[in-house]
Amino acid sequence: MNAIELSHINKFFGDFAIRDLNLTVPSGTICGLVGENGAGKSTTIRLLMGALRPDSGTASVLGADVFSPEFREMKEDIGVVLDEAYFPESLNAVQVGKIMAATYRRWDQELYDGYLKRFDLPASKQFKDFSRGMRMKLAIAVALSHQPKLLVLDEATAGLDPIVRDEVLDIFNEFTREEDHSILISSHILSDLEKLCDYIAFIHKGDLLFCEEKDRLLEEYGILTDSSEQVDCLRPEAIVAREASGYGGVRALIKRDLAPAGFQLEKASVEDIVLFLVKGAKNR
Amino acid sequence: MKALILKDTYVIWRQMKYFLVMILIFSALPNGFNNAFAVVYASMLPYTALAYDERSKWDQMAAMMPYSTRDVVLGKYVFGWLCIGAAAVLSGLFQAVLSLVTDREVLPGTLVLSVLGALCILAITLSVMFRFGVEKGRLAMFLIIFLVCGTAGAIASITVSGDGGAFAFQGPILVVMSIAALVLTAVSVPLSIRFYTKRQG
Repeated sequence: MNAIELSHINKFFGDFAIRDLNLTVPSGTICGLVGENGAGKSTTIRLLMGALRPDSGTASVLGADVFSPEFREMKEDIGVVLDEAYFPESLNAVQVGKIMAATYRRWDQELYDGYLKRFDLPASKQFKDFSRGMRMKLAIAVALSHQPKLLVLDEATAGLDPIVRDEVLDIFNEFTREEDHSILISSHILSDLEKLCDYIAFIHKGDLLFCEEKDRLLEEYGILTDSSEQVDCLRPEAIVAREASGYGGVRALIKRDLAPAGFQLEKASVEDIVLFLVKGAKNR
Repeated sequence: MKALILKDTYVIWRQMKYFLVMILIFSALPNGFNNAFAVVYASMLPYTALAYDERSKWDQMAAMMPYSTRDVVLGKYVFGWLCIGAAAVLSGLFQAVLSLVTDREVLPGTLVLSVLGALCILAITLSVMFRFGVEKGRLAMFLIIFLVCGTAGAIASITVSGDGGAFAFQGPILVVMSIAALVLTAVSVPLSIRFYTKRQG
């Protein structure tokens, strides 16, 4: 079963549009949603949570149509962390816990208290006095404490210091040890996604350019750092994008299967692939 | 919906403490207008809670949780009804206690009319807030103040004439106000649900 299935989704806003979005996240996997600011990541998340109605197309999460009445029940199984933790400012962590206990049937107070301790979150401090990192930690604690099967995380690790970020990534990894647990995570920190994800989906100006297995993606592309003449020897379709790399050299993202045998290509990271793809898309 | 009412209670808890003090002061003052104002003012509390929601963008969070649009909207009405009910009970009790130690009378007519007036104000203003939002609804704020003061004043003058022996005059007013509160609420709730759904896109 697929945890998330978006099919031919179109949503027009005037100056921005999500066009023919097809995104599938198989159950038991972690999918990273990558894109520039304003590319449509948060809009995609709102669409798949039924918070925004598409102009056309269908969306289902955990097997339920997001616009069916059953989806409200299904939200019990979905933990969401948005790009900001939008809790009312006068609340504190204990009050948030009580509200969530009345919201979710499977709320685990002990687990929540454990996360508050683990994340070093003060119980009675007002939310308005929390730092951004603390706010995000509280949102993560809430998302994990009602025993969800799917986590939808929109820039959930932004604002966290590297040590806590690493701990949070470990928690997300632990979460997917259950075979029916899945995560969709959008982030600008591509190294986090490379560490965490099985799939990478890349969205650019409202178009989903690809959604591929991370390992396949890393096998598909390589980096060539050489002279401009040497790079020009390659078939144009083999070069995804290029950039000057100092001393007259060129650094280029190359499709391995289109490069001649014997060419020494470095291993590309997810960050390399995404940055070059954005450049390539801008140059087109 | 219980969760949403709990949230609103926590959110305006600080104001509630001041509000409680205000109810007691206004209930203690020997004037029908003051007694009515204490109860009618309670209809403004959901408006405050809504302003906090808007400032924190709580609606975006709520859209991700297992709340229906109906829960979110009706929650505000129920919260308002509870505030009005609590204010009326507190005001009534305080007036009763005062009547034991002073020679002033309890004005049940004022209290009932105040509750009905507050219900009408809640029904009118909440749908305006759901339509325009609290930020854009600043003009509605003047409407609320006008309605709160006007209703309190009207109730005071009606019950003063009632206390002079004209309960026959109060009776029809009570019936008209009850019908108005019912009709306005019955129209306001579905309208607010529609406005909120539209604003959520």
